[in-house]
Parts: sequence; C-alpha cells; structure tokens
Amino acid sequence: MRILKLIIVLVTIISLVTVSSCGGKKSNTQTGGDLEGSITISGAFALYPLAVKWAEEFQALHPNVRIDLSAGGAGKGMTDVLADVVDLGMVSREVYPPELEKGALPFASAKDAVVITINANNPLASKLMRHGISQETATKIWITGEYTTWGQVLGTNDKTPIHVYTRSDACGAAETFALWMGKKQEDLLGTAVFGDPGLASAIQADKLGIGLNNIGYAYDEKSRKPNQGLLVCPIDRDNDGNISPDEYFYDTKDDFIAAVAEDKYPSPPARDLYLVSHGIPKNPVVIAFLEYVLTDGQKQNVPVGYISLNEEKLQAGLEKLHKQ
Amino acid sequence: MKVSTTKKLRESVAKAFMWMAMFIVFGFVISVIWTVFSKGMKAMNWDMVSKLPGGGFYIGKEGGFLNAIVGSLYIVGASTVLGLIISIPVVFFLNVYLKRDSKLAYTARMAFDVLFGVPSIVYGAFGFTIMIYFGLRTSLLGGIIVITLLIIPIFIRTMDEATRDFPRDILDASFSLGATRWETLRVVLRQIAPGIATATLLSIGRAIGDAASVMFTAGYTDSIPTSLSQPAATLPLAVFFQLQSPIPEVVDRAYAAALVLTVIVLILSISGRLITNRFSKNKI
Amino acid sequence: MQKTRFIKDKTAQAIMFALTIISILMVMVMFVGLYLKSASVLEEHSLWKLLTSSEWRPMKGEFGFLPFIASTLWVTFVAILIALPISLLTAVFLTEYAKSYVKKFVFPALDILAALPSVIYGVWGVLVIVPWISKHVAPHFMDFSTGYTVLAAGIVLGVMVIPLLVSLFIEVFSSVSMELRECSLALGATRWQTTKKVLFRRTYPGIIAATVLAISRAMGETIAVLMVCGCVIGIPNGILEPCYPIPALIANNYGEMLSMPMYEAALMFAALILFFVVLVFNLISRIVLYRLEKRLGS
Repeated sequence: MRILKLIIVLVTIISLVTVSSCGGKKSNTQTGGDLEGSITISGAFALYPLAVKWAEEFQALHPNVRIDLSAGGAGKGMTDVLADVVDLGMVSREVYPPELEKGALPFASAKDAVVITINANNPLASKLMRHGISQETATKIWITGEYTTWGQVLGTNDKTPIHVYTRSDACGAAETFALWMGKKQEDLLGTAVFGDPGLASAIQADKLGIGLNNIGYAYDEKSRKPNQGLLVCPIDRDNDGNISPDEYFYDTKDDFIAAVAEDKYPSPPARDLYLVSHGIPKNPVVIAFLEYVLTDGQKQNVPVGYISLNEEKLQAGLEKLHKQ
Repeated sequence: MKVSTTKKLRESVAKAFMWMAMFIVFGFVISVIWTVFSKGMKAMNWDMVSKLPGGGFYIGKEGGFLNAIVGSLYIVGASTVLGLIISIPVVFFLNVYLKRDSKLAYTARMAFDVLFGVPSIVYGAFGFTIMIYFGLRTSLLGGIIVITLLIIPIFIRTMDEATRDFPRDILDASFSLGATRWETLRVVLRQIAPGIATATLLSIGRAIGDAASVMFTAGYTDSIPTSLSQPAATLPLAVFFQLQSPIPEVVDRAYAAALVLTVIVLILSISGRLITNRFSKNKI
Repeated sequence: MQKTRFIKDKTAQAIMFALTIISILMVMVMFVGLYLKSASVLEEHSLWKLLTSSEWRPMKGEFGFLPFIASTLWVTFVAILIALPISLLTAVFLTEYAKSYVKKFVFPALDILAALPSVIYGVWGVLVIVPWISKHVAPHFMDFSTGYTVLAAGIVLGVMVIPLLVSLFIEVFSSVSMELRECSLALGATRWQTTKKVLFRRTYPGIIAATVLAISRAMGETIAVLMVCGCVIGIPNGILEPCYPIPALIANNYGEMLSMPMYEAALMFAALILFFVVLVFNLISRIVLYRLEKRLGS
C-alpha cells in the first residue's frame, strides 16, 4: 500500500512538472521585441552544417529561441515538414510537383554541390585526378554498370575493380547526382550506405571505393582540405580525358565553391539548397529565422563552405515569405 | 566390450562439443565487451557526459552527449512509472481476481506473450502513425508513449512469472480473515516485491537500449528537452547516428556513448540477477 | 463501512479488467492499424505480386518485396544455423552436466548477452565481424567484399539469439522429471545417450517451438542488422552478398514515407508482414510450449 502511494505521489509530481513545462509549447511569441519559442528543422545532410551555423548565430541573437536540428536525408525533411512534424525541412534537391501540390513552399537558401569522392590511397589516385570523370563515365559506373574496373575509367587495361557506393536513405545528394546523369536515385547502383557521413566513412575505409558526397562531408571544415583519407575526383566537363588547370579547383573547399559560383562546375550536381515550409509560415520565430537566413545569414555561407545565392533569388524568397 | 567403448567415445565427443559451445559463448561475450570497453575507454572523458555536442551532433567536434543521457533518462523514467502503473493492476487481475484456469487469463497471457515478441520496429512504425494521427511531433512525449507500449508486455510477463508461484494459502488466509481482494493486494505486493524489482530493472534495461522504436518517435536533437513536445536524443541513437561519421571526434562520441550505455545495462542486469538470487527459493 | 470496502473492491476489479482487456486489444489494434495504413498499396497490387516480385521502384509505384523477404529469410537462416547447435549444447550442458561453480559463470555470461542492447551488437558487428569477413573470410571465395553481408548479419543475430534459445531450452529440459533420467542411467546408458534418446525425444516439440520463437525474434531485429547488412536491394545469391532485410527497409525509409503516395502504405505493409509472421509464430510456439509443459507435468 505504501509503495502504491509512493508511486502515485511520484507520478503526480512528474505530471505537474511536465504540464508546467508544457506551457512553453505554444508560446512562440514576440514579447517586447525579444523573440522566444522553439522551432524544429530536419532534413538533408547537405544543408546540415550550414543550418547548424545559422542556428548558432540566430540563437546568439535571440537567446530565448531554441532550434532543434537533425539530419536524416532530404526525403525525411520533406516528409516531416509536410506532416507538420517539424517547422522547416532541409531539402537538397528540386521540390517535386506532388510535393508542391501538398503545400511545400521552398526558400532557396544556399548553393552547394555533390562531388565524386575516392580514397586517397587508391593506387591509381594520381592518374584519376589527372584524368577526371566525365558524365559518360559516371553513367557507366553508376547507372549501366558497364565499367567495373578502374582501367575502363582511365582507358587502360588495369583490372583493379571499382567498388561503387551510393546512398541508402532518400536524399538530395544522390537524387541530384543521378539527375546529372538524367536518372533518379533509385537507378543508382552500388553498395548503399546510410547518410552522407556514412558514405564518406565507407570511402575512407575502402581503397578502391568511389562514391558521392556533399561538400560539407567531403571537405574538412577547419582545414578546408578534403577530409583525411579522401580525395575529390574532378569532373571532366569537356570529356577530353584530361583535367586542364581550368578544370581543376578541388584542392580546397574555397577554391571549389568559388568555381561553383562561377558556374565552372556543372549544375547538377551543383544545386540550390532549400528550406521548405508547409505553406506560408505563421510562426513568428520561423518567419524571423527565414528572414535571417535570406539576409544576414548569407554571410555565413562562404565561411562554412557554401555558395551564397544571388540577390534575385533571395528577394524572391523574401517576397514569398511576406505574401499574405 | 566394443559397445561400451563406442558409448564412452560418443560421450567424450559430446562433452568436448559442449565445452566448445561454452567457450564460443564466452568468447562472444568477451569479444563484445572488450570491443566496447577498449574503444569506449579511449574516447571517454569527463566532457562526454557533462557537455552537449558542440557544432551539431553530426559534424561538431567538441562536446559530449549529455543530451542523449538526459533524454534517455527522461524517457525511460517516465515510461517505467507509467508501465508499472498499468502492469501491476493487470498482473493482480490475472492472478488474484481470476481463477487459475480461466479462459480470460489464458487469452490474456497469450496476448501478452505475442506483444512481448513484437519487434520494436513495429512498435515504432505503429507509434509513428498514431503520432501523426494525433498531430504530435517527434518528441519526448512520442518516445515515452512508444517505450511504455514496448515495456508493458515485459513488465507483465516477468511479474506474472513471479506471481504465478504465489502460494494460494496466503491468499486464502487473507480472504478467510474477511479481506476483500483489493485489500489483499498489500499482501501480494509485499511477497512479489523482488519480482517487481527484477521486472523493473529488466524493463529499464530494455527501454534504455532500444533504438528502433525511438528512431521514429522521439527524434533527435543537440539539446536537452525542456518540454514534452520537444525532440529528445537517446543513447542508442547517439551511438547509431554518430558512429557513421567521417569525423573522428564524432565517432569517438559514439564509442563513449556505447560504453556508457553498456555500463548502465550491465549494472541493471547484475542487480537484477542479485535480487533474484537473494530472494528466490528456486535453484537452477 | 462494509459497503465502501466492497465498492473499492469492485471498482478496482473493473479498472483492472478494463486495463487487461485494453492490453489484449492492443494486438488487434496494432494489426488493424497497420492494415488500414497499408490499404492503399494492397488495393493497387495483388498480394501475390507484392510478395513475389523483385521490382522495387517506389518512384514508379512498383513494390516488390521479394528481395527483402529473401534477405530476411537468408539472415535468419544463418543466425539459427549458428545459434541452434551452440544453444542446444550449452543448455544440455547446464541442465545435465554442469557443476554449480560452472553455472555461476555461465549464467551471468548469458545474462549479459541477453541484456546488451542491439545497438551495441551493431557496433561490435561493424568493428569486429565486418572487417573479419572482409579481410579473412571473403578473400578465399571472391575478389572483394565490404564485409557487409548476409554472413555478418547472421553472425550478429545468431549471437543475439543464443541467450533466448538457451533459456527456453533450459525451461523445457527442466520440466522433464529427474526420475526419467535416473531410470535411463540405471539401465546403463551414458549421460549423452540419455540426453539424446530420452530428453530430446520427450522435448523435441519444445525444442522446435523454442526455435520458432527465436526465429521470430531474429526476423524482427532491426538496428544490429541494419548496421552490418549492406542495404543493397536485391535477392542475395550467397552468404557473402549484401542484403536488405525487412526491418532495415522500414528503418531506412520511414522518413521518406509520406512524400510519395503509396510509399507509406508499402512500408506499413512491410511492418504488417513482420507483425503477422511474428504473431503466428509466437502463438503457435507458445501454445506448443504450454501444452508440453503441462504434459511433462511440471
């Protein structure tokens, strides 16, 4: 009997505590100019590093705001935001018509790219870096499976096999990469690994691996160089089997994003990154956050390793946001 | 005489295989524990359990996984309490109120055995649909609901086992003194308290380690939830998500989290065993 | 005064009754819930086609579950193949042969195995089993393997299932009365002969039921398998191929679910398949075990 009473008392206490903290749930208000409330964002691994920076800066500006971020792939981001499970979805691909019909409202917030990654200790690494991979070659590796040895890629007789990797979660990176070859993510061949970090790890562990990654995970944030054990394989745009100095800008993140900004890197696999909301946002915190991202937030893009958008796109976004 | 040597040979061979089996089992245990401990101890430091991940849990290099520790504690604490509240009455009903061979008891036990066997991912998928239906988001509350559903069958089954051997005489004595069944509860509770304790420890162990059910329902976050509607990080997901990162500092957090999780579970399991040994009259 | 006590009792009874009924109904609710959610994919495709086609193109609305079903079966098969002999021998050893000091070591070991969360097994699998397969097993048979294979998932699952099997076996074996064993030994049989001819013969329905339960446990295991299976869609052609069991499918794609009309229904259908199989296996084996214990007179 005593135990039962104890349990009842405990439960009452816990429920009181939680109910009182529940009060904070709906109060996303603007009290006297200082924003407070919490928003949740989920989605693409691609946008995650930048979103982290934006969230940090925004929370520094507004200490009473709390932003919860998680990554699970662009597919999850879209799903979550359309189901009203989160406030904003991070999507690293174009929004599909059925999603637009369901009320998805995309705000272009940054630009980045998917790159081809190989292991730094690949015996043919230096040759590959000079030869590059063209769209045709990529199709033969990831779509048709015609190329199964590195020799075929380089045009030699080398029989070393290629170990192809792709993404298992529904993501913008793979979708964009496939789009570059005119296909969809489900058409990509290869061992599927979950998440961008996961794929990068897999390539780090496999000398003969080749995969696709977002800039954020191919390059190290602090050193600006490719992550340890990885190399970013150049894309051979003019298909001449040779990477001219004009086509080479892969040593550091900064070189690379400059090249993307100048359209030297094809688009796709470079693409716009979107923050998607379900309809026009009503939550003042969400509105304030989007405003921040589309204005001051853009200053963070390049330092973190992304490309800022041009004024037109940003203005269009702001207009969409304020349309009543 | 040939017959007896073949017999003896077979016997020895069988014994040899059995010893091998035991060694293999031990080998596995040691291998798993060793892997977790060696990787975990290397990565472990005070920061890990006292700080939140800095710079985003997927790529940030600083900080620890306090978010997951607290998140797990919240979810498991609440679920255990809720689970107890629901399970104890049910167990009483099955054993004290119902007759020994009642059809209802049989069906109920069957149902609970089935629920016990349902994989946690089905609970997660089901919980996710319920959440969407009610407009809940991936949150602490969602995690609590699903984990409670998950551990109720564990509670019921374990406590049921303990209560089934309950000596009928004590109940009869209580009834003959004029007590109602509700009042006899006290007596039963005291008797089966170790059973409840073991069940609680077992359920906590299961609840804290389960990833598939919280994946969909509790979400994940860098911070500690301050209300029921915020997402909560959990230890198993902390391990799962951070393990796959190419950034070594993040992977280290995963190892340290795995170590903490394992230690917690081991402590629970050992305590459970100690309690059963102390109080049980059954020899094995 | 008497009346209040009576009322208390009756109310308590009513509440407990309600709780019990609700808990039993949970099984139905889950089944119905999952079924309703899978309705749209079941309308468009015949059950047969869903279960036997290998075309998995959610974007185009094609949902063939065969690769996932095959993967689940393969992995479970390997797991049971590994776990069954080990568990059987261990259980026999513990009930028939062991002295108490050995038991003091073995039971805690089994407890530990049973208590470890599946994520930890996943970590172990990734750090120990996968590289072992990649470096030491695969090279004998093929050019290269990442190590993320049916075999990896099978080994990890097998280890996870051992404690369950052992405890079930011990339960079943213990219910055979000592006298039966003593009779056999008195007739001059060795311990092993007794085990083989007396124990197993009497308890083989129990052994089978326990195995069936273990199978259902193995089929539903998610995280540990997810981390080592390779997640490649396709019917595995051998144990050194990567695979994609059903729980891994659900876990990987649950986030995608709502953005495509039938994708959610398809994944819920996968969960339904799992639920259904586990339900049937559990019911049958529990009934068998129950009857067996009654028969052997515990």
